[in-house]
Parts: sequence; structure tokens; C-alpha cells
Amino acid sequence: MSQAATASASQGSHTGRILVIATHAFTQLMRMKVFYFLAIFAVIALASNFISLPQHEGPESMGSNVLSQIKSWSLGTMTLFSVVLAIVATALLLPKDIEDRTLYTVLAKPVPRFDYLAGKLLGVLMLIFVSLALMDLLMVAVLQVRTSMVLTQQQEMATALGWSQGTIDSMRAETEALGPNWSLQGAVVAVFLRSAVMAAIALMISTFSTSTLFTTIVSFLVYFIGYFQADARDVYLHSGEAGQGVLARLGSLLVSLILPDFQLFNVIDTVIQGGVLPLDVFGKLVFVGFYYTVFYTFASWFIFADKEF
Amino acid sequence: MTPAVEIVGLVKDFHTSFRRTPLRAVDDVSLTIPAGEVYGLIGPNGSGKSTTMKALLGLVAPTAGRCSIFGKDSLKVDSRNDVGFLPENPYFYKHLSGRETLRFYGKLCGLGGKTLDERVKEMLALVDLEDASDRRIGGYSKGMLQRIGLAQALIQEPRLLILDEPTAGVDPIGSRQIRDLIFKLRERGITVFLCSHLLEQVQEVCDHVGIIFRGKLVKEGRLEDLIAIEDQTEIVLKDASPELVARIEELVRQEGGAEVVRTGKPRTTLERLFLREIR
Amino acid sequence: MRLVRKSMILLAVALVFGAIRMPFESALRGELEKSGLIPRELEVGTKQKLGQTFAAVSLGGLRTLVATFYNLRAFSEFTEQRWGDVARTFDLIVTLAPHTRYYWETGYWHQAYNAASYYINEEKLPAERRREAWRESIHAGRDFLERGIRNNPDDWSLWANKGFLLSDPNKFPAFRDQAKSFEEAAEAYRKAEATGRALPYVKRFSLYALARVPGREDEALEIARRFYNESERNHTPTLLSLLFVLEAHADASQDMEELAVRLFGTKEKAFEQLGTHWQRTRDRFPVYGVAEALQRLGKDLDIPAGENPLNQPLPPPPGPDQWFSQ
Repeated sequence: MSQAATASASQGSHTGRILVIATHAFTQLMRMKVFYFLAIFAVIALASNFISLPQHEGPESMGSNVLSQIKSWSLGTMTLFSVVLAIVATALLLPKDIEDRTLYTVLAKPVPRFDYLAGKLLGVLMLIFVSLALMDLLMVAVLQVRTSMVLTQQQEMATALGWSQGTIDSMRAETEALGPNWSLQGAVVAVFLRSAVMAAIALMISTFSTSTLFTTIVSFLVYFIGYFQADARDVYLHSGEAGQGVLARLGSLLVSLILPDFQLFNVIDTVIQGGVLPLDVFGKLVFVGFYYTVFYTFASWFIFADKEF
Repeated sequence: MTPAVEIVGLVKDFHTSFRRTPLRAVDDVSLTIPAGEVYGLIGPNGSGKSTTMKALLGLVAPTAGRCSIFGKDSLKVDSRNDVGFLPENPYFYKHLSGRETLRFYGKLCGLGGKTLDERVKEMLALVDLEDASDRRIGGYSKGMLQRIGLAQALIQEPRLLILDEPTAGVDPIGSRQIRDLIFKLRERGITVFLCSHLLEQVQEVCDHVGIIFRGKLVKEGRLEDLIAIEDQTEIVLKDASPELVARIEELVRQEGGAEVVRTGKPRTTLERLFLREIR
Repeated sequence: MRLVRKSMILLAVALVFGAIRMPFESALRGELEKSGLIPRELEVGTKQKLGQTFAAVSLGGLRTLVATFYNLRAFSEFTEQRWGDVARTFDLIVTLAPHTRYYWETGYWHQAYNAASYYINEEKLPAERRREAWRESIHAGRDFLERGIRNNPDDWSLWANKGFLLSDPNKFPAFRDQAKSFEEAAEAYRKAEATGRALPYVKRFSLYALARVPGREDEALEIARRFYNESERNHTPTLLSLLFVLEAHADASQDMEELAVRLFGTKEKAFEQLGTHWQRTRDRFPVYGVAEALQRLGKDLDIPAGENPLNQPLPPPPGPDQWFSQ
């Protein structure tokens, strides 16, 4: 019974159709004025420049806190935007199509159901990607300007104090680590990946849920519980030592096998604080993100494949 | 020749969460539509018309039986290459203009480039929406929506068109425009499968009709055969004088066994037939 | 029925895919924890702490942002001199952003310096209690800073700050074992230097601290000599004076005047800078041989006995005995 959407010799390629649906979902969301949020982001990114608090004197700490502040405000806003959009937009698109009966017209065309779902998901992800890219650009620009300002200031002060070139260089390196760098870009990618996983989960929930509200609430629940998946896993893996009951063990196993581990994405916070994200770790993170997203997308399709309307 | 539509022994049960016994929406329906026909499925609301159509389009999976379009199983995606569908009271994406809507559905069918441009132009001309083509669909009237829906259904030149209540909620003028369109399509050799509860319309355009009631197909056949009354013979005369009519009536009386039921203008309606069949 | 069957299949598949990824996830998490990219197990004790951890963990990507807001709150608590609140807020801030040097430094500074000096001047409290509050603030600041160091062992600045705190004359009386404080300060500076990123003054401060640890003068002497020979730039008055006392300690029988002239260049300069060193009692630097050198230099330079720093009254050491006397 479940071959309703099996691929076959319909005209046009899968990729082509997925892209058509994705572009359409992207336009649809865009015309819902989602991009207004970007203006708010711009204000936040610029405002984060102007909040300053008293701190230690000394050239090495001068102005460097404002760099962390720009990053935390920018990436924090990106986090909020990407997760909320991933959940709400995804939760909205499917029920809206069913309610408006536009789904009939789409599925009555030679469109495999997988293409439809993948297209919708890709549309949401395209929107998040474009938004994050724009925000990233703005953040890097602000950070770049501010970093060079801080560097000039530090240089002047250090020269006045008669510091040696070696000292100034080491201070410079420390400040530059707080400016725009590849780790920061890695963190933005991590923000995107997490939203992709969330969108795929929201998609899966919306294939069997009956309302947008339900999908949204359950998705946010999953999002928060996902942060404790790792703890559940630990409980399961080390339960022999602590002597938990069978039920606790089983429960923790279920949680850790079904839900994604969002704590992995907490590297974002460390990067904001100047931490370095090595390439191999980044690669593994991307892999995990893809694994989750692809799995939940196929799970959505599995439910959606012979759903009746 | 492969029929455009073939439905064999279609049964569809719906499970509702509150009742143990499933609700049977379609009960053993079989029908065949040869290519080039205009077929009307009539029945009251909730009689299983829409479910039958959805099964034919693969939107619902049959509990038993099978449906196919030009020989291809409805549950397979490629069966939908040759079909256009206009659902009841359709809404399209409000954020798109009429032209964008057609382009979107065209691309879904794998059209592109010049072919798509030409098809879109042609379809807009066919449904007479060229002037409104760049307006957002959100501002379209009911009749315009129905027409853009038709254009959308026809975008990839399907050989079969499925229309679910094509004139529901449309004013008489819009209704007439749609009827004229169906005629045009029949001339082009496109098979049309429509369902309606507006019997007069069906009578006007259809070659074949099926009557569905409580999920069962209770009568099916050529429209002309169906509305013929089997034990009566109609003699339609032209320019007959009243004397001639009187003489014929006299002749019938002399013959015995036959009787003149009525003289006057010949007329039966689909409506009467319908009511008789479902009693 | 079909939906139930499908759900069961989906659940089974989810479990299989979860089981496949579990070892990878677990290993990646271990790797991230090891490299400090995600915080290790947070100290969970009281219920309040548990709530904090919960918030901190689930605020992925927002933690530093929320920390920024708490920092604003801490600032207004600071201006209102609500020291308990400042400490609590900073506890929260560093739970959220454990790798931001600024928060550790500001938090420790508020407690060990701002709160401590507030209690010196707080006149509503009796002297004994002010003294106790002063001492507690300094210790709380130190504990906080040391927590920061445990979280960021590679941060030179946090180590250096520990050195500052322990070798700050205004804080001496807060620590019972003075020698131990100097030793710990020297160790902290050394750790700061070992990160390879420390600013150059840290190296000198490490020596200054070590020179004050009784019993480790020989070690300090070696370092002082190395600095002295390294570059002319290192010949600061403090370094020269310390080199002098350490040399004097190593060989008490040598000619102190000759040693002074050799190090400072001229008799005048030697007399002036050793005189300053003699009077710097607050810092508790050792003064081996200084008295003898000053005596002889004063005579050679025809300084009247009354003007020799040796014979002038030493400034009283500032400290709690004086601050909390009334």
C-alpha cells in the first residue's frame, strides 16, 4: 500500500521538482514578510556595539569585551530566529496546503510525495540559510570594523607604555582571536544545522499531527528535551554503576535513540567566547547534523507516503 | 484502445476514531470511461463522488479494487502525467499571480523554458484570464479562481481532466463560461470526468453519466439511453396539425394494448430519473 | 490499524538508526568535552544549581547573550553595592559563559577589591564584623578566580590575576600564612608565563613573589641573575634592588658597598634606590645587606646621618589593624 509515492517515470527530474517546490515555499515565506526580521537583527547587531561597562584598565582588556558582546548578540539572535522559523514555518506549510486544498492540486500532478516534502523542507532551509548568510555578513562587517578599532586603540596605548613588539604581537593575536575568523563561521553553520534538524523534526511531527499549534508545541518540547538527550544517554551507558531501575534504563535508552543530541551544538557558545573549532570536529558536527536531518526527513516521508487526504 | 479511466470494484472504508465499524464511503464501484468521452458522476453530497475521484488520483488508497488512468495504476506517480485535476472550491497560493501559478504547476509537470512560456500563454488565453494574469490570486473572484484552476489542470496537456463540482458557488455567467470550456475541450479530444450535484449541467455536457448514492453506483450508461423510458415510444412530429394528432390517437385506441400517455412537447429530466433511481 | 503498524515500523527503524549513531555521538561528545568546546559536567548540588544547569544547557547558542544581560544586572547591583547579589549574579553568568575571561575577572574584582574596600569604609558595622566581612570578600574573590582558572587553565590573565591578588600589600593580612601566599603567587605567575601568551611583566612579577618566600632565595637569585643578564631593559629599580638583597643573602660575608656599586653603577644611584627599597616596607621585600650598604654609602657620600633613610621613621604598614581600629 505504501508505494503511493514510489519514484517512477514521471516527467522531469526529482531534483528539478524538489527545487520548484522549494523555491515556491521560499517565495511563499518571503512574501509573508519574514525578512522584516533582518531589519531587527541589524538594529541588534549595531546596538551591541554601544553597550559598554567599566572594566579593568590595561591595553590587553581594552575593548575586547565588546567583541564578545557583538558575537553573543548576533549569534543569539541567529539562534532564536533560526529555531523559531524552522519550527513555525515548517509547522505552518503542510497544514496550510491541506486546509487550502492546494495539496490536492500539487499531488494530482506527477509529483512523488517525497519530492513534495523534501521541497517544502528545502524551501524553509533556503530561507533560513539566506537569512543567516545576510546576518553573518552584517555581523562580520561590524566585528571587522570594531576589531580594527580595538586593535588601533591597543596599539596606541601599548606604544605609549613602551611595550616591546613581541608583547604587542601577542596581545594582537589574542584580540584577533575574538574578531571574525573561521571558527565563527563554523558556529554559524552549526546554528544552521541545528535549525535544519529542527525543521526536519517539525516536518515529521506535522505529517501526523492535526494542527499547527500541536506541531509547534511538540517541536519546541523536542528541542528542549534534545538538550538533555546526552544526559539520558549517559544514564543508559553508565546505569550499571548507579543501579537505576529497568524502567529508567529503558526510558533513557528510548530518549537517546530517538531524539537528537542538541548539546553537541553548544560549541557555538564556546566559539563566541573565542574558542577554536577544529576542522575535524566541525566535519563530524556537520555529519551528525546531516544524519539527523536526513533520517527525520525520510521518517516524515514514511508517514506521509500513504497518508490520505 | 485503453480506456481513459478504469475503476474496478473500488471499495473505500474510512476509520473514524469513535466508531468501531469503519465507514464505507465507496462500495464496489466499477466504471470505465472510454477516451474522448465526457462522463458525469452525479450524486448528493457525501455519496462518495469525491472519494472516488481521490482514489483515481491516488490521494486515497483503495481498501479493495483498483483504479487506473490510461492503463496506469493510480497509486503510481506516473499515472498522473496524463491527468489534470480541479478540486472542489480550490484555493491556490494567494501570494502568486495567475501567471506564476500556472508556471509553478507547469514546472511541477516537468515543463520548462519556451514550452512552458507558450503553454502558460495558451492556457491564459483559453480561460480568458490574460488581463488578470499578473494580479495576485488572492484578489480573484470565485469564477476566476475556477478558471485558473482549469488552466492549471490542463497545463501539461493531459488527456484526462477530472473536475470536482466545477461550478459550485460560481454565478450563472461563470458557470456558462466553464461549460463552454468543457465543450471546447471535448472538441480537442480530451476526456472529461466530472462530478456534480447540479443535474442540469451534467445533462447539458455529458455523454455518459453514473449515479452514485450511498457509495454505490446505482445506474450507469449513455445519457441518451438512461433518460429514455423503456416502455414508451416517442413519436416526435414536426408541423403536425391537431387533426393528424387526433387521428393518431384514434388509431392507437383501435389497436388496443397501447395507450397514448401524453401528447405535447417531449420532456423528461435527469432529475426525475435521478429521484427514481435512488428511491 | 495501518497507522499503528507503520508507527511500530518507524519506531523500530528509529531505534536502529539511533543505535548506529550512539557510539559516534558519544565519542564526539567526549571529544568536545576534552577539548573544552562544550563544558564538562557542571557541578550539580543544590536545587538552585540544578535549575541553573538546566537553563544553561538548554540555552544553546543563547548562553552568552543571556550572560550579557546578567552582566548588565550585575553592574546595577554593583552600583547599588549589593555585594551578595553581585556574587550570585556572577555565579550565574559564569555558568552560562565559563570561557569568557572578562566575567571571571570582573566577578573576582568586584568581590576581592570593590566589596572588600566597601567594608573598610562601611561605618554602620562594628570594627570586628567589618574586618571579617573584608576578609571574607577577599577569600570569596579568590575562590571565584580559582574556579575560573580551573575552567580555563590556559588563560594567562586569570593566573596573573591570582598572582596580583596574593601579592597585593593591601590584601596581605587577609591571608594567614604570608609565606605560603607568596609561594602561591609565584606559582600562579609561573603558570601564566607557561601558557606562552603572557605579557612580559608577568615574568618579573613571578620573581618578585618568589624573592619574598623564605627559603627559596637561591632559586630567586638564579632567575634574577638571568633577567639581569638578559637585557638592559630588565634593569628596573625593583629588579636591581632585589638582585642586591638576594646576592647579599647568598653570601653575607661579601662587601655590600662594592656589590651595590657593581649593580647600580654609581654610589649615588645605589644610595638612592636602596634607600627607596628600605622604605618600601609595605611590600615586605627582603632587605638583606641593605642596612650595611646604606650605612657605608651614606658615609662615603657625606650624607648627614639624619637624612639617611636608615634613620628615618618607616611608614607604618597600612592594614586592617589600622583600618579597623575604631
